[in-house]
Amino acid sequence: MTAADALYVYGVVRSDTPADVFAGVEGMDDGPVRLVGADGVAAIASSVPLAEFDTDVLELNLKDGAWLEQKVQAHNRVLAAAVRKATVLPLRFGAIYRGEDHVRTMLGERPELEAQLARLEGLLEFGVKAMLDSEVLRTRLEESRGVEADEGSGRAYMLRKGLARELDEEVRAFAATCAEASHERLAAVAVDARVNPAQSPEMLLNGAYLVEAGREDALRRTVDELNKQFRPDGVAYEVTGPWPPYNFAGEESEG
Amino acid sequence: MSSPSPALQQQVTLVELVDRVLNKGVALTGDITLSVAGVDLVYVGLRLLLASVSTLEQLDAE
Repeated sequence: MTAADALYVYGVVRSDTPADVFAGVEGMDDGPVRLVGADGVAAIASSVPLAEFDTDVLELNLKDGAWLEQKVQAHNRVLAAAVRKATVLPLRFGAIYRGEDHVRTMLGERPELEAQLARLEGLLEFGVKAMLDSEVLRTRLEESRGVEADEGSGRAYMLRKGLARELDEEVRAFAATCAEASHERLAAVAVDARVNPAQSPEMLLNGAYLVEAGREDALRRTVDELNKQFRPDGVAYEVTGPWPPYNFAGEESEG
Repeated sequence: MSSPSPALQQQVTLVELVDRVLNKGVALTGDITLSVAGVDLVYVGLRLLLASVSTLEQLDAE
């Protein structure tokens, strides 16, 4: 490490974590990952060139989609190496320090990190997204009403128009009910749960679930059941993970 | 619902990854650059990624 380097910190582990958890894992700019220990906790870190991460340069780099993608992938790659092997507390992207002393000072000033780590022990984060194909749902709702197809009269036109509005309303109501019911059932097998904002109009549910390592199958079974139950209504569920517990690392729970 | 192309699937996963890495996790004070990495500028980068996803979606739909 030279004066032109800084330390990028990915997250925090207990200081008794074996260093070989991160052996062979490439950090940002392919730098080797090492643990910088303090009392009780250690930072997962690697050297990065200040030329890329210094404040003024970073502003430009963050606007560069390709640069950002590469760094975000590296951030996750390092933390993901610990999943199922050690408990990690993920830090948000962009924690840069001048050197090991600086990192140790930060760790020393944050005694709560140890408790936050302890809370995550033996737990895995999974993402569950539910997507609604509203055409499938509309067709199903229409069929259940026994809608008569084509009558040319003005009255039939008005009826159809009113019906379309009613169907829109029913689709919205179904989406809300289904999202709530799904989240409730998933949260029941989890230790903690979050609902994040939908990433697209079709997304009914964008949930994150913190699950005991031994309960992973229970979560997957619940998703299978939901898929079976709601597929005829046009809903498809997808599980991602296990992730490092990003959604459960901070105190804030965004709605 | 047609199954998305592998490229689109990758991009969607990337959005999920970017959302986690940039918006979640413990935010520490005392970092040199955290205020920069905090909100607006990262959002610009994220929008670029999202824009490339919607472009792929359009291609996928055709």
